Amino acid sequence: MIRNALGHIISCRDASRLVSKREDAALSAWQRLLLDLHLSVCAACTRFERQVRFLRSVMQKYRQ
Amino acid sequence: MPNAELARELDPHRGYLLRVARLQLRDEALAEDVVQETLLAALSGSGFSGKSSLRTWLTGILKHKIVDAIRRKQREPTAASAFGDIESELDIEDFDAMFNERGSWDAKPADWGDPEAALNQRQFLDIMEVCLEKLPPNTARVFVMREVMELETDEICKELAINANNLWVILYRARMALRQCLEQNWFAGPGKPV
Repeated sequence: MIRNALGHIISCRDASRLVSKREDAALSAWQRLLLDLHLSVCAACTRFERQVRFLRSVMQKYRQ
Repeated sequence: MPNAELARELDPHRGYLLRVARLQLRDEALAEDVVQETLLAALSGSGFSGKSSLRTWLTGILKHKIVDAIRRKQREPTAASAFGDIESELDIEDFDAMFNERGSWDAKPADWGDPEAALNQRQFLDIMEVCLEKLPPNTARVFVMREVMELETDEICKELAINANNLWVILYRARMALRQCLEQNWFAGPGKPV
C-alpha cells in the first residue's frame, strides 16, 4: 500500500520525462528516488525505460 | 599513387556517411558536399592510427564537417527557413496527449518481447531510418548528434545555441516519437516478426 502510494508521487508522464533525461544528465538525488519508486511499481514505465535504452543500442548499431 | 589503397578502403563507407549527413542536414546537396569534404580530409590527412575502426575515425571527421556546415548555415540570413525553427520543436504538449488527465499512459507501451533480435535484421534498420526521417528536422539532428555521433549534451547545446532544458525536451520528443513509430511499424505492426 505504502509502496504503491510512494510510487505514484510522480505520474507516468513525469516519470517518462525523467527516464529520458537520465540518459543525458545526472538526476538530482530526489528525482532519482521518486523515479525509482515509480518504476518499482509501474510496469508500463519500466517497459518505456527498457525501450529507450533499446533505441540507444539501435543507434549504436547504425554506427557499425 | 600512395593513397589509392586508402581511397579503396574509404569507398564502402560513403553510403553510411551520406545517410548520417542527410539525417542531420536534410539537404541532399549539402550532405554530398560534407561527405566529399570528409573523404578528402581523410585521404589527405595522416590521422588514421588504426587504433579505432576506420568508420569511427570517419565519423569523427564527419562530425566536424557537419558542425562547420551548420555554423555556416546559421550565419546565412536564410538560416531560419533552411533549418526550420527550433522553437517550434520545443512543444511537448502533443506528447502529453499520450497520457490521460491524471498523467497515466493512455496507451501503455506494448511488450516488445526480445527486441535485441531485431538488431540484426536489415528490414528493421530500414524501418528505423524511416522513423528517423519522420521526425521534425532539428529533433532528428539533435538525436543523431547525441546517439550516433555521441556528442556530449553541452557540445550540442553550444553548437545549436540552445539551453540544456530545450535539449532534454527535444531528446524526449525524439525518443517518444521513435518508440511509438517502431511499435506501430515493427513490434506491434504488420512487420512484426513471428
